[in-house]
Amino acid sequence: MMPLQLLATSPVNLNHRGHYLHWGVIQISVANLVVISLMLLLFAAALLLPFPKGRASR
Amino acid sequence: MTTTAPVASSPVVRAERAPQPSDGSWQGRNREYDLLKEFVVALVVVALLAAGLAALFSSPDEHQVTLTSWSTAAPTDFVATAATELDGTSGTATYGAPYTRTPDAAQKIGPVSLQHIAGVTHPINTSTDFITGPLASLPGDPTVSAALAQWTAASAAQQQSWSGSYDAALQKAAGNDPAKVAPGSYGPVPTMLTGLLRLAQAGRLDGALLLQGSFYQTDYTKPLLFIADGSYLADKGGAEHLAGEQWGMMNETGSYPGQAWLWLYTFWYQVKPFSTSGNADALVMVVMTVLSIGLISVPFLPGIRSIPKWIPVHRIIWRDYYRNTGSSTS
Repeated sequence: MMPLQLLATSPVNLNHRGHYLHWGVIQISVANLVVISLMLLLFAAALLLPFPKGRASR
Repeated sequence: MTTTAPVASSPVVRAERAPQPSDGSWQGRNREYDLLKEFVVALVVVALLAAGLAALFSSPDEHQVTLTSWSTAAPTDFVATAATELDGTSGTATYGAPYTRTPDAAQKIGPVSLQHIAGVTHPINTSTDFITGPLASLPGDPTVSAALAQWTAASAAQQQSWSGSYDAALQKAAGNDPAKVAPGSYGPVPTMLTGLLRLAQAGRLDGALLLQGSFYQTDYTKPLLFIADGSYLADKGGAEHLAGEQWGMMNETGSYPGQAWLWLYTFWYQVKPFSTSGNADALVMVVMTVLSIGLISVPFLPGIRSIPKWIPVHRIIWRDYYRNTGSSTS
């Protein structure tokens, strides 16, 4: 493999046929489900983690 | 840049802890808040995330579908599609505005045809733009040139008879294979379409359809419409779950995540009456417009505007305040 090809090759190859979940009329890719789950986790963390305290000036 | 901000920016807190003076200035406690620092931190974090994820996962690398790749991979589909372009029955030829003048083709919202309001801004005659024009502009095969001359000399009715008969015979042939078309009165059509196939496979049709009379060729409308009229591109899209009935708007090729935020737009296309309507695009646009206006109007909608009382997410965000002041304040 040429050096440039090595540089262009990513450690995780996602260029293969995706996996999809079907539930009635709903179809969703596993990749989208992962991203949506991460967003929900981030939202929950933003709600629940304590906000950094600033210094009171007066 | 350090600025000061009220310790509690909730309007409720302001009202309780520090009554507003007549000039409206904040009289409560202030807290230092470095906006520039927060901006830089956010920028660096997002930049590192973007660069790291790009290095880790790269990006979708689906090869472009061109007239050359299509005609080489699926020559029978290419010729069958070219036959519909020639006799004016293809998707593009019957699309209506902005490409053709087909009055009953447009989607409507009641009596209003939004598609036709702007008119035919990109006129396309599929027969001349996709077939005879490229054949005439790229001479080189005397057989094809003779066929083209015969076509050009014939009346419009004769041309329609030849092309319509060949299109119908091609659709009946096994596998839509031009070699298996039943004998008939097709005039120069088979020769022209075979010539167009050779032209496309040689890579010359892509260039011919991109010619726009200027140095830079950036308008891919014609080759894209031609390709989209065939089943090759649709089949490839369907295999990647990109079709409308597959929630395709929110999907991406390969195993990459797609545009998940378009879930509501694409949801409507999956359910009746949208999934079976010829006006689906117009209807979905109306529904989303109404919903968007509803979202903007949330503060004014009785019941909807009270959702924070039933689902008090704000009490989690401002839990320190509610812990200190008791639970009676909403």
